[in-house]
Parts: sequence; structure tokens; C-alpha cells
Amino acid sequence: MALAGWLAWAEIGPLIAASAQSPVAALMLMNSALPRLAVALLSGMALGLSGALFQLVLKNPLASPATLGVSAGANLALVIAMLFAPALMGFGRDVVALAGSGIAAGIVLRLGARRDFSPFVLILAGLIVSLWCGALAAILILMNDHYVAGLFIWGAGSLSQQSWDPALSLLPKLMVAALLAGLMIRPLSLMEAGDVTAAALGARVPRLRFLAITIAVVLAALVTSTVGVISFVGLVAPALARLSGARRPAGILVWSSVFGAGLLAATDGLVLWTTGAMKDFVPTGAVTAVIGAPLLLALLGGLKAHHRPLPSARPRPLPAQGLRRGRGRWIWLAAGFLLLLALALLVGRAPLTGGWSLPAVPVFGDILALRLPRVVAALSAGAMLAVAGVILQRLTGNELASPEVLGISAGSTVGVTVLLFVAVPTLPLQLVAASLGALAVLAAIFALGLGTRFEPERLLMAGVALSALVDAVCGVIAVNGDPRAMILLRWMSGSTYSANLTLSLTVLAVGLLLTTAALAMRRWLDILPLGSETASGVGIDLGRARFLLFLVAGILSGAATLAAGPLSFAGLMGPHIARELGLKRAGAQIVGGGLAGAGILVLADWAGRNLAFPYEMPAGLVAALIGTPLLLALIRRR
Amino acid sequence: MQSLSRRAFMMAAGIGLWSLPARAGGVAPRVVSLDYGLSSTLLSLGLTPVGIAGVDDWGKWVVEPPLPPEVADVGDALMVNLEALTALAPTLILSTPYLDGLTPVLETIAPVLRLSVYDASGGSILPKAEAATRLLGDRIGRRAEADAFLQRADQHFARCRDAVRAAGAPPVALISFLDARHARIYTAPGLFDDTLGRIGMRNAWPGGGQYWGFDTIGIERLTEIDAPNAHLIAFEPLPREALPTLRQSPIWNGLSFVRDGRFAVLPETLMFGMVNEAMRFAGQMADYVGRLR
Repeated sequence: MALAGWLAWAEIGPLIAASAQSPVAALMLMNSALPRLAVALLSGMALGLSGALFQLVLKNPLASPATLGVSAGANLALVIAMLFAPALMGFGRDVVALAGSGIAAGIVLRLGARRDFSPFVLILAGLIVSLWCGALAAILILMNDHYVAGLFIWGAGSLSQQSWDPALSLLPKLMVAALLAGLMIRPLSLMEAGDVTAAALGARVPRLRFLAITIAVVLAALVTSTVGVISFVGLVAPALARLSGARRPAGILVWSSVFGAGLLAATDGLVLWTTGAMKDFVPTGAVTAVIGAPLLLALLGGLKAHHRPLPSARPRPLPAQGLRRGRGRWIWLAAGFLLLLALALLVGRAPLTGGWSLPAVPVFGDILALRLPRVVAALSAGAMLAVAGVILQRLTGNELASPEVLGISAGSTVGVTVLLFVAVPTLPLQLVAASLGALAVLAAIFALGLGTRFEPERLLMAGVALSALVDAVCGVIAVNGDPRAMILLRWMSGSTYSANLTLSLTVLAVGLLLTTAALAMRRWLDILPLGSETASGVGIDLGRARFLLFLVAGILSGAATLAAGPLSFAGLMGPHIARELGLKRAGAQIVGGGLAGAGILVLADWAGRNLAFPYEMPAGLVAALIGTPLLLALIRRR
Repeated sequence: MQSLSRRAFMMAAGIGLWSLPARAGGVAPRVVSLDYGLSSTLLSLGLTPVGIAGVDDWGKWVVEPPLPPEVADVGDALMVNLEALTALAPTLILSTPYLDGLTPVLETIAPVLRLSVYDASGGSILPKAEAATRLLGDRIGRRAEADAFLQRADQHFARCRDAVRAAGAPPVALISFLDARHARIYTAPGLFDDTLGRIGMRNAWPGGGQYWGFDTIGIERLTEIDAPNAHLIAFEPLPREALPTLRQSPIWNGLSFVRDGRFAVLPETLMFGMVNEAMRFAGQMADYVGRLR
């Protein structure tokens, strides 16, 4: 708080001094600097309060508008409205944002409700919905917003102000919501004692929960509608409140609001103070993510002591019988895969008329030469991500683990981003940088996991934090119109566009080699999920096994992210599909999951090349769009 | 009266030349252009490209000269549809440093001519655009047309300069609104900034930008413009909510150029273009200051 005050003064002090002399400085003080501070305080307060409500009512220290997908939902709704129904954007803006965040929260919580609001399912569903909304928003922006970066700024959350209107219109709405939240304090205290006790004391738990969540969603939607997406404040503020000793709901709500306001105002002050020197445009929302991610990781240790025991995400008993038994499922899987391959290679759009067609005989060779490298790249990437997913899920004993969710793909993106700024990004260098990035994240996860036996919560959290960090960095670069942003965006969106036959075949060879390696280690993969004691008991050198498996998974992820981008979800979907088909042993899951992952990306690549012909949509984003609903359906069925 | 920009275009862009048959003694090259500035330059040299990138948005950014309907679309410049490109059987592909990542792929389809206007080497944009126009003329066997086109452009700039001088040449700040709170402001070095210099005007924005010639700012930073008689020009497309929201803002209303009515919105003009785009912009400026009298 002191920091916030000091930074605010550093920004405003000189303006006050100057405003005595110059009317312009006075105008700036009264209508830009002060309203900006006010909006930062109000938004921070609202986000802190919203996060605290979510965390209290869901009994989940990881809940927040950002981690539950609420902010991303609001942002997607705003992007859609801006592009397709601009008339809605005046007074309807709050309504649009509210609709988006409401739908996102609805989906996430419905999924959660089926699993007793298990924190893992909630956060996973929230993360998936967030990334899905982000992917769709990115496609829409890429295809519609060539020279104008306005929508990027929105997504990145800028606090720049030119009048008191946003602050003044936010204030009463927030006050009403805060008042309602205040009325919830008593019922929330009852719920603290446990749902059963609360019900016995006369509280109607489901209704209370619904009300509290509604208030939290409204708070987050109002902020997103006013200044855009500002992540992490809603997550970190309640954590700080708890760390500084707040225990009861009243204390947590109040202190979360205070810390939220201070946190955002301090961040914004920092942004103004540093960019004042550089004269670069940096949206504050992006910076909260950049600062918030490591802060959050640092806080994880402290959080541990305070949070109540949660029902752990124990591996669920698998369905006794697969969808299809025995040989039949393999035939289905292989046939489906071959059919997809044929579709991807043969069916396309006629170049000049745009009609659907098989390539004409005279150009057949030329067209095939164009399609083959991309299909091979998609296939390899999908299979490699899925195999990495199988390894990671078995290694961490966490069925929600995957290169995407754990932030390993984000690590690859960081690697490539660094490369972009230090060297000419040739393809082999990109491959090395991506693998190094992936391995660095894996090493961090490993270091973090050693002390905690790969506690799923921390791993997921690290992944969320890192993905958000990468998003933020890309946002800053994109907003500034740096041409490297387009390369980065292309990378983020995961296109097979730049694949040539040499690269594709190299990636395929690497993939086959590492998959063979993984198959050779399948005994470890079968035994490790049973626990380290069991594993040591049968004579497995745990350290060596883990190291080798992590190494394989890291290189697989890095190489695959090169072609599919960090959010294809093939690495999460492949293993799940294999498991749904009843492929339980590691060896079978690796092969089946690999085929499924490959099929998903091949299909996505084909759809991306053809649906908007001659304009292309990146395979990674399309895969996320196709795969996410599928994944949510899978989670729901369990 | 026909506006200066419109009239100049009819003359300078060489309307009528496009319909000339392929010249005697040779078949016209089948050119695909991946850059709007290069595409419009081709048209002004009397060669209609067989395909360009981004046909859909031509009317949103380039507008003049109009794009002949027979030009095929090869998709987005950064992800040219290679199947569509191959089907056009081009004999030459025009590219820019912005698209360098594509060059190896493009070269498997046809020879690539990379013309550099916007790059990190620094220097003024307009002279680089003129040099690129001559290079292009050399390469497609239309050097004479290129020289004639540049001469028409010079005459156009000279006419605009006269019109501007007669109107007192006030300094101008040039922006595109990104939303109701942010804008891109066009800086030196940049196409707009260079063209202002060419027609005897001055950019009122004191700050610099990157080599594309713009900077992203919050609207409140427009207060940094200190020239007392500066005008503010915003270009279409305008986010719908920008002006209604800004009219409520004391900062916006307090800006001297807004308060005194020295603010205008002009039709869309490509800020990352070449000579044609500079001419369209110069004509717009000359018309604008001409209307001030």
C-alpha cells in the first residue's frame, strides 16, 4: 500500500506542481491522472472482492475471475460485439461483458458442480474456457483487425483515462455489488463451518452459493467492460489478505478489496513511472500478469499452510469396459486416422472458383507437394504432444497434466520469443530454442514437484501462471505494432504454414524416435503412477526414470509446439481419448493417444486451410476450437 | 468542383493505361503482389496483377486506384494461400521485408522481387518508395512508365504544395483511433510525415516512432502537442464509440484544436503505402487546408 501511495504521488506530485503554472497540466491532473488512479483503485477493489467471493464460496484458493474463465469470457463477448454488432457497444457494453462472463462462469461451474466443485476440475475447466475464449478472440482479431490494434489493447487491459466518466459510472455499480457482498458476510461465515452445519443453521447453501457467485461474476464483468482484462489481481489479493492474517469471511472480503485496490494502483504507478522514461505503450493489465505470475509462484508455498484440506483429485476408477473391446477399437482408430489423412491430402478448394474439389490431374503433383508437408507436420505434432501428454499424466499421477496445461508449451513460446530478439529465427534455431524453453519449464516443474510429490495444484498453477505470462508478453509486443509480433502471433496460433518437407520429415523422425523411446520405457510408465514406494520396491531407480521421461516429454513438447503452437490441447485430448477407448496400459495409451492426437491436428489443419479459403486459420487455434468442447464433454462425463 | 485529390488521381494514376493490351514484342508478366503499396504501384505502371493479397480489404485501406475486378485473391499477405498462388502460375511475385519469412516458399513457385520501403535501415520512406517504384519499373520492363508516374506524382505534390501554401500551411497531427481511449499517431520517419514535408507542411507531433512511422498513445498524450495553430486529423475507419465517448471527455474537449474546431475526420488512407498512397494523402491534406479558407 505504501508503495502504491508513493508511486501515485510520484506520478501526480509533479502534475500538481506544474498545474499551478499551466492549464494543460491542471487539465491532465484533474481528468487523466486522478481518474486513472481512481479507476485503478476501483477496478483493483472489484477484482480483489470478486476473487475473495469466488474463493470463499468455492472453498478454492485458486479461484479468481481470471482462473475461472470469467474475464476471458467477457473479453470474447466484447470482441465479438465490437466486430459484428458495434451498435451494442455504447450503453450495452456492460450487458455484453456480463453475458460473456455469465456464460463462461455457467459452463465452468456446471462442470464443477458435477464433481462437487472439486478445485481441480473447476480450475481446469476455467483455464480451458479461458484459453478457448482467448483462441477464438485471437482468430477473430487476426482475421479482421489488420492494421488496427485496438482489440489487442482491450485484451491487454489499459487504464489510460481521459475523463471521470468511466470511474463515475463504475463507482455506483461497484458500490451496489459491494453492498450485496457485504450482506453475504453472515451467510458466508455460516458456510465456513461446512455445508451441513450451515444448512442445519438455516442457510440455504445452494442459493447462497449462486448469489455470491453472481455478485463475483458481475464485479469481474464490470471491470472487464470498463478497462479490459486485468488478470491475477483477483487471485493474488485474497491470497495476500489470507497471508496477512485475515481468517474470517468479513476480514477476507475487506482486506482483499483493499489489497486489490493497492495492488492495481501500485502496478499502474509502476507502469507509468517506467514507461514515462521509455515512452513505450504498455497496457497495465499485461503488466499485472507479468508481475503476478512469479509473485503467485512465490506465494504458493505460503498458501499451503492456510488452505483447508481439499478433496484431492485422486485418480478415478476407470470405466470397467472401454467403448469397444479388443482388436475392434484398434481397427476403428486406424481406419479413422487413415480416412482423415486421405481427406486432408485429397479434398480441398479449387483455387480460382473456391468450390470443393479433388485436385485436377495435371496439377495433382503440385498440389500434393504443397499439402503433404503440412499434413505430415500436423500429424507429427499432434502425435508428439499426445505422447508427451501420456508421459506427463503418468509421471505426475495427474490426469489433467499435458504440455499445454503445465505451461511447457508456453515455455517453448518463451524460448522462441527470446530468440526473436537476439538472433535471426531460422527454423533449426527455433527448434532448439523451443526445446530449451520446454525443458526449462519442465526443470522448474520438476524442482517444484520434488518437494511436493508433484502436487497437482501447484503444477496446474505454475502452468496457468506461465501461460498468462506468455500471453502478457505477446500482448505488449502486439500492441506496440512491433513486426515481430506477427511472427510471435503466428507461432502462438500454431500454423503448419511454414512447414517444408525437410522440416516435417525431421520432426516426424524425431517424433518416431522419441515415441519408440517412450514405448521402451512403458514399464516405468505403468508402475510410476502407483506411487514412489511401489516403484522403488520393484527396483526402479526413481531419479533416473523420472529424468529420462521428463527429457523425452520436454523434447517432444518443444518440437511439436513448433508446428502446433502452445494451445492446441492435442496433448491433453490425445491421452484422454485413448483412455476413453479403454487403452489403459502405457504402451497402448501411447500408440492410441498418439494416433488420436495426430488425427485431431490433421483435421484441424485441413479445416483451417479450407473453411475460409483463400484465407487461412492456424491449425493450433482450430484444434483448440474443435478440441475444447470435446474435452469439456469428456470431463463432464466422468 | 472536383476535389484536388480526385482530379489528381485521374491524371496521375494513369487511368486508361491499364486497358492497354500487352505491349508489342512481349507477353506481359503474370505478377502477383503481396503488398498493397506495390499492388497500387503496379496499376499505375499500367500492369494489372493477376493476383494480390487481401482483395477483401482493398476498399478499406487503399481505395484509390480502384482494383480491377479480375484480380484474384491469394489470401492474407502473411499466410499467402500457396494453392491459390500456384494456380495463378505467376512469373513474378512482389514481396517486402515484412514478408521475408515467406521468401523460401515463394521462390519455389516463381522468382521473388523483394522491394524494401519499410525496414530497419532507417531513412525517409517516400524517397525509398520512389526508388522501389523505379526498380519495379526496371524489372517488369516499364521503366519509362515508372519515370512518367513519378513525374506525375511530383507535379501532384507541387500542386498540393501550392494549395497548402496559399492556405497558410498549418502544422497537423495525424492519428487513427484504436478505441475511445487510444490512438496511433503518425510520426517521423513515416509515409505521412515525409509527404507532409514534400507539400510544405509540418507534423505537429513532437515524438518519434518505429520505422513503420507510428506510435501508440493514450488520447491524453495529445496534450503534448504544443503548436498553437495545430490541426488534428483522424483517419477512417473510426471505432464507432470513439467520438461519442470523447465528446464527454474534458481532456478531449480541452485540447485546443478540438475546442477551436481544428479537428477533422478524413477518409481512409493507407499509412503503410508507397507513392500512390502518398499522393492520395497529399490530395486529402491540400483539400482539407483549402477548405479552411
